[in-house]
Amino acid sequence: MTPAPTGSAPAPTAPTARTGIDWVAVVAALVTVAAFVRAIWFTPPDLLQGYAQKIMYVHVPTIWVAFLALGLSALSGAFWLFLKDPRLDRFAESSAEVGVVFTTGVLVTGPIWAKPIWGAWWVWDARLTLTLVLWFLFLGYLVLRGAIDDRELRARYSAVVGLLGALLIPFVHLSVYIFRTQHPMPVVANPEGIQMPAVMQVTFFFSLFAFTLMYVAFVRARMALATDRDALEDASTAER
Amino acid sequence: MPDNVAYFHAAYAATIALLIGYAVSIVVRRRRVAQRRAQRATAGGRGA
Repeated sequence: MTPAPTGSAPAPTAPTARTGIDWVAVVAALVTVAAFVRAIWFTPPDLLQGYAQKIMYVHVPTIWVAFLALGLSALSGAFWLFLKDPRLDRFAESSAEVGVVFTTGVLVTGPIWAKPIWGAWWVWDARLTLTLVLWFLFLGYLVLRGAIDDRELRARYSAVVGLLGALLIPFVHLSVYIFRTQHPMPVVANPEGIQMPAVMQVTFFFSLFAFTLMYVAFVRARMALATDRDALEDASTAER
Repeated sequence: MPDNVAYFHAAYAATIALLIGYAVSIVVRRRRVAQRRAQRATAGGRGA
């Protein structure tokens, strides 16, 4: 708790994000733990792939959240270009950072799954390479944001970079259809229907829901951080 | 069925570490900003 200065008027303070327990985060954490427990102990392994197939319950929801996060970040940045609302920029920044974290998760779990199934940690096929490029693009987005002090300039440049970066998302998703790749076709978003037994489908969609909740919780927490940081910057600027 | 349970464990461990690590990083950064605000408020109070 901040001690109140005594014997003089307190310095002016800008509004900050709410503090205390974030119940969305608590629920998201509990649901994610439940999804992990179901995937690890209550879902049978695949007959052909063995236990490695269970990596799908974290790998696919992770790329789903990465696409969602980076796509919404770009959309929010685009809206900022017209509306100039600082909350949109804070959301774009927060969602992009969460997106980079989840893309990192994809790039970590993918090779761990690939090694026992393909016999190689990494192959330079279209899906994997484009995912790596997407990760580099949004890492650049975050570095760009850190390099610009002027808030409006930072929001404008990063909105444009975010929009251009997000153009890659459909190519990453469709790469398995466009190019001949080592990466398999989707088992869920498949034109011929879901290629999975019912018990695995339940685990998969539960995991998808849990990871989406985690995304919401992370973005809320990250936006609170951005709000507090901006309030601190405002207060420092007002003092000068 | 192939014996590849170690890869399954490694992927889940990596995912859990990533999620917890990121959550901790947000908490630490937010705490740091709160400390800076507190320092600024204290310094502002003394200077007034």
